[in-house]
Amino acid sequence: MKPAGNPSSRPITRRHFFGRISDGIYGVALTHLLTGDLFGVSGLADESGPPGPGRGGVYDVASRKSHFEAKAKSVILLFMNGGPSPMDLLDPKPMLDKHHGEPYFDQVAVDVPSPQQAGGLLRSPFKFARHGQSGTWVSEVMPHVARRVDDIAVIRSMHTTSPAHPAALYKFQGGRMLPGLPTLGSWVVYGLGTENRNLPAFVVLDDPQGLPINGIANWQSGFLPPIYQGTRLRSVGDPLLNLRPETEEPSALVRMGTRLRQQLDRIHRRDRPGLPELDARIASYELAARLQLEATDALDLSRESPRTLEMYGVGRKPAVVGKTHVNPGPDNYGRRCIMARRLVERGVRYVQVCVNGQIWDSHSHLEADLRSCCDRTDQPVAALLADLKERGLLESTLVVWAGEFGRHPIAQIMPKQGVAGRDHNPRGFSLWMAGGGVKAGTVYGSTDDFGYRAVENPVSIEDLHATILHLLGLHHEELFFERSGLREKITFNFEPRVVREILA
Amino acid sequence: MSLLDNPLDWFPTRAAGLLLGLVLFCCAFLPGAASARTGGGELSARETSFREEVLPLFKEHCLRCHGQELMMKELDLSKLSSVLKGSESGPVVAPGRPAESKLYQLIESGSMPPDLEGGLPKAEREVIKGWIETDLAGGGDEAAEARTLNQHDVIPILLRHCTTCHGLRRQGNDLDLRSRAAMMRGGKSGPALVPGKPEQSLMVEMIRSGKMPPKKRLFEVGVTPVSDSDLETLSQWIRQGAPEEEVQPDVAGSEPDPLVSDQDRRFWAFRPPRQVEPPPVEHEEQVSNPIDAWVLRRLEERGLALSAEADRLTLIRRATFDLTGLPPEPAEVRQFLEDRDPQAYHRLIDRLLESPRYGERWGRYWLDVAGYSDHEGGKVNANGPARKHAWRYRDYVIRSLNADKPYDRFLMEQIAGDELVDYEAAPVITREMVDNLIATGFLRMGPDSTGFELSFVEDRFDVIADEIEILGTGILGMTLQCARCHSHKFDPIPQRDYFRLADLLKGALDEFDWLAGTPISEVVKFEQRVLPYVPPMTNPLRLLEQEKERKSRNEALEEQVKELQQRLEAKGKALKDSVLEERLGQLAPALARDLRHLLKTLEEDRDSGQKSLAKEYEQLLTVTANELKERDAVYRREVEKLEREIAWLQYRQEPEPRIRALWDRGAPSPTYLLQRGDYLSPGRLVGPGVPSVLTDGRTPFRVEPPWPGSSKTGRRLALARWLVDRNHPLTARVMVNRIWRHHFGRGIVETLGNFGRSGARPSHPELLDWLAVEFMNRGWSMKSLHRLMMTSRTYRQSSRVGPEQERLDPENRLLSRWPLKRMDGESLRDSLLRVSGRLDETRYGPPDPVSVRADGLSTAYEGERGWRRSIYLRQLRMNTPTTLDLFDYPPMNPNCTERAQSTVAPQALHLLNDTTIRRLAAALAQRVEKEAGNSLEAQVEQLYWTVLSRPPTAEERRLSLESFRSAWKELGSRDRDRQRVLAKLAHTLYNSAAFVYID
Repeated sequence: MKPAGNPSSRPITRRHFFGRISDGIYGVALTHLLTGDLFGVSGLADESGPPGPGRGGVYDVASRKSHFEAKAKSVILLFMNGGPSPMDLLDPKPMLDKHHGEPYFDQVAVDVPSPQQAGGLLRSPFKFARHGQSGTWVSEVMPHVARRVDDIAVIRSMHTTSPAHPAALYKFQGGRMLPGLPTLGSWVVYGLGTENRNLPAFVVLDDPQGLPINGIANWQSGFLPPIYQGTRLRSVGDPLLNLRPETEEPSALVRMGTRLRQQLDRIHRRDRPGLPELDARIASYELAARLQLEATDALDLSRESPRTLEMYGVGRKPAVVGKTHVNPGPDNYGRRCIMARRLVERGVRYVQVCVNGQIWDSHSHLEADLRSCCDRTDQPVAALLADLKERGLLESTLVVWAGEFGRHPIAQIMPKQGVAGRDHNPRGFSLWMAGGGVKAGTVYGSTDDFGYRAVENPVSIEDLHATILHLLGLHHEELFFERSGLREKITFNFEPRVVREILA
Repeated sequence: MSLLDNPLDWFPTRAAGLLLGLVLFCCAFLPGAASARTGGGELSARETSFREEVLPLFKEHCLRCHGQELMMKELDLSKLSSVLKGSESGPVVAPGRPAESKLYQLIESGSMPPDLEGGLPKAEREVIKGWIETDLAGGGDEAAEARTLNQHDVIPILLRHCTTCHGLRRQGNDLDLRSRAAMMRGGKSGPALVPGKPEQSLMVEMIRSGKMPPKKRLFEVGVTPVSDSDLETLSQWIRQGAPEEEVQPDVAGSEPDPLVSDQDRRFWAFRPPRQVEPPPVEHEEQVSNPIDAWVLRRLEERGLALSAEADRLTLIRRATFDLTGLPPEPAEVRQFLEDRDPQAYHRLIDRLLESPRYGERWGRYWLDVAGYSDHEGGKVNANGPARKHAWRYRDYVIRSLNADKPYDRFLMEQIAGDELVDYEAAPVITREMVDNLIATGFLRMGPDSTGFELSFVEDRFDVIADEIEILGTGILGMTLQCARCHSHKFDPIPQRDYFRLADLLKGALDEFDWLAGTPISEVVKFEQRVLPYVPPMTNPLRLLEQEKERKSRNEALEEQVKELQQRLEAKGKALKDSVLEERLGQLAPALARDLRHLLKTLEEDRDSGQKSLAKEYEQLLTVTANELKERDAVYRREVEKLEREIAWLQYRQEPEPRIRALWDRGAPSPTYLLQRGDYLSPGRLVGPGVPSVLTDGRTPFRVEPPWPGSSKTGRRLALARWLVDRNHPLTARVMVNRIWRHHFGRGIVETLGNFGRSGARPSHPELLDWLAVEFMNRGWSMKSLHRLMMTSRTYRQSSRVGPEQERLDPENRLLSRWPLKRMDGESLRDSLLRVSGRLDETRYGPPDPVSVRADGLSTAYEGERGWRRSIYLRQLRMNTPTTLDLFDYPPMNPNCTERAQSTVAPQALHLLNDTTIRRLAAALAQRVEKEAGNSLEAQVEQLYWTVLSRPPTAEERRLSLESFRSAWKELGSRDRDRQRVLAKLAHTLYNSAAFVYID
């Protein structure tokens, strides 16, 4: 969208950048591009903190200082679409065992999307045990993450506002239950820019098996300028749409095209002094060329050691079969976890790792499906934590494992599926965070005896957003974008609370 | 739905039905027996302390604004009950916690009272603090304190929870709960209400027992259970004897509006535009019409003048792109160059304005304003289901612009087309009637997911709110949407005005009497908001025949689709089997064996064990089309081709003839102001009206039925008439500014959708006003405005930036030169097709399908003659065709008043590597070889003429020829490679700045 708050600021600042490279674009500009700081030379952005009206209104992805010192420099969001079931994974509920089968529908009726299919209370098919020095409870179905509990902080008292996937996803990503808003990743790169100008600031590693629910809306930039949108890098084949032509041309033609285009554009530019947008366009072509090399390299797993590959489960066959979705095994997710690490190593600010569809949406076959989800993700996720730690990156990388909502303590019995599952529940769910200034080995908040509703220290989505921004050194009130005279923020006009109890 | 199945049903009978409905409705709402006021008795301690301690303070300092009369910000501090009720932003006191009480915070900080130097004296602040801390916290006899309720405290509750099934359209169990009288009358089970006795009132009993609203049907009708506090309110009202009070809705009166002052109306944008004489200037020779005088005046103040005139090659390309969105043909350019007539340029503009492409270009701008989409959009799926009938509105816009329909008429039709001519009682349906109804699609373009997703009251109100936003930002240039939850923070728009406007729309858009956009859900059950499309002046019998013919054509196409689908399935068989085998390989051998056996057994031959096995492993045994495509690239290509053929056949099926219209249904429910925009906190009753600051504040807003005996309310007709009044401060200014923006690169007011205090100030205020008045004087003719602007000397300037201009007018705010422009997505795509000879200029009709590949590439369907212009493609909310998407096609949320422009690397990658764009370059090379003959020089010449509408410069010619020769030589100098190298040359021009930028 148009940087509406202060439209006149955009050309001024572009002029600032390009005023310095008024001629010889292919000499000076290219050198700057190669060193990655073409847009950082003004000094304006670096010193004035995140952009926004009154702060110079610089709309670029140059690396910027945060509002205050913080440990986390980058974020990896492991998004578990569908609503992972808290009472089967991270939030044990012995009362469910005790009252298994008893009616409970009336207490939760308002929140049950499919009332015709409501059954009684449903106990977890899995055993829970305490792990690590912190003694954090984890279900038997996540054995790898269980071994890393001392690195993570679990929040058991999350709650959100909608029991529908898309609306809850909009809420999680954009702060409100509306499509078309900037997502968390967009806000982060809008605020902090990126360390590596040859790769997108906000990378999405989507599943080769398909897009998640809500598709590209999960990484859109809404009313923020489009440069803050997430860019999909595909983990198989070419990383980027049209990164290369579908059929290669003879090199003589490629060279001829590139050279002639540069010559023609130089003439065009020479005849039109004082028009910085022409420089921006020329720079975009050069950046495109750099991207072809660097994006391919960043995703190239052949440089990884066999030990690393094995640790992430790359090449391992699935151990169990999913009932309502296909389990490709840890290989599929493991590859993208390694890529996430490689991108963060290269200075990418925000990486979002996706699963196809919504595998955690366990409406039926609760046990089989959760086993399959965990077989696919548990080992890679734990390996990512270990790997980041080993390389000294965990301190500066915030890892967030979360879904859009939780599930009901009562059973859902779908007419065509013999085995019960659980329906969506927005009132209480669990997620965890690690690294980047998070207090490791913590468990925060709790739900009621049956896991229906967050009761102790409830954490809203806006609280979560404010906390994630805080870990990155950003204050949610100060990270704004002016539109129609209003300061738009990811936390809207809610009054969120930074969950300080989970900060190291 | 039966009304819609046969278009003939729709004629006069409807009018009678609606009229009857209106009569019944009015009766139902007549005030009943004189209300019995309860009250009296002992005052509670809380009430006493309020009256004795704080009320005197409030009287002195607060009640002038926050009393019963003014109720600024909806706050009334004159009674304890209303203090506890709070303001438009919710509660103002938190008993026991002064620090958290907004009332005390504002007093403490000195912000209130606003006119008291140094704020309230400390002693008085302490009194209020103490009162909140102790007296208020002490609790009280709630019953004694409670205000006497009236019917307006309970009607909103009943509207939310009951009247969908027991109200205007449906009287389940013969029960209607919209008025006290109807409640007393009751239904089959007897009276619903026994005044004074809530425990004996059936309606209370049904709610309390949880029987009503029925839990399992909540989603179906979009109703939530009644909360305890609402039930208590209802019981209390009954306990008090179910009193009724005559409450007049809040509307503008003849007394000065207390909430909006004349001072507020003095802001520049709220005063009607006035034309003043153009100023004298030094460079008189540069003035060709008054526009130049104002522009020059500001330039001369800085020691500048207009730049030199652009050459003819530049002018024709600029003007042609501006008016048609396409480059001029070489022949047109040559003709213009040779035309020595001094009027040649004027004639060029006239010719371009006559082109049907004009409406396609400028119609697109209007579709952005309207938030046009061929998809419903939604909270669940950003695209939502297709809007099958929206295209008629798109065609209406294009045709109206081509016909130079006066803007006032254009607005009247779009805002209130259904109230302009009585189509319901008409013996014959005329073109005008049909167009009027199609035009009302304007207020139907916002996202509307109420027919297939959740459809609770707030979802429905979201649809209405989007239309108000479109109306506000698109036509008024006001950010009205801000006043939905509280009075506007910057502009003098009290929250009341927002709901008056909502009430204006309510005859058609009523959240308590809802029709949905595209109802396809099995869960939500609403009727569809469409009217039958009747071809004008058609004999009814012919109509029936046409309908039969349409159906049989569709059936024939459907047959072909089925055949292709079978082929599709057959193609994937072997691949599917191998995927299945792979999956089975992961299983325990015994299970795998059983499943293999199962797959070989025909469905009807399966035994019960196999059947349950099939059910249990249904997902595992299902291989989706996408999985197969991911596996095998060859298969994918074949299948995608078949899928596109299917899409094409489906596209050719004619939808049932319907109009996506908006029409007044004659029986609006009452409108209450919503505190904090929350539908659970209704405030006072409001009536129809427009933002007070845009009126004189002393004239009641008149609403009357559009014609005698009409069942329609006439509310939107009144809105439309008010909008196009010559003294309206905004309508003409906003439109003139929009047209200016599309010619001169930025608006005189830069914020096209916001002329309010938080928007930008005009760079040339007198010019804006002069144009606005001129626009109206010229009969609101848009083409006349184009002519005026484009024949100005200002428009004809060169775009070159000299050192003086760069120093004195760096941002070109003063228009010291013409602004270099980059093509927008539509222009770029359409031009690439046009110069390559692959633009299919078939106009109008249902949109062409768009398909999305697994890797995200979104493309339109290629017909025999190529591709159609972008405006005729299916307008999606997500997965927009990649070329448009990358070049800043906006999300319609709900509309777009001004597009952004980005310059990013993926645009370069797309233009460089996209297969279709390469194919277009090859097509152009072929075309050029055919047209220019064998000479390379002639070919290069022709290439430049076609792509850039001009000959190459000597330097460009030399570089292009050299490049061609060296590449061709490197390839081996074979004749068959010539076209390939020429195609590369064409492709390079497509990627050159000279192509995408317009001087």
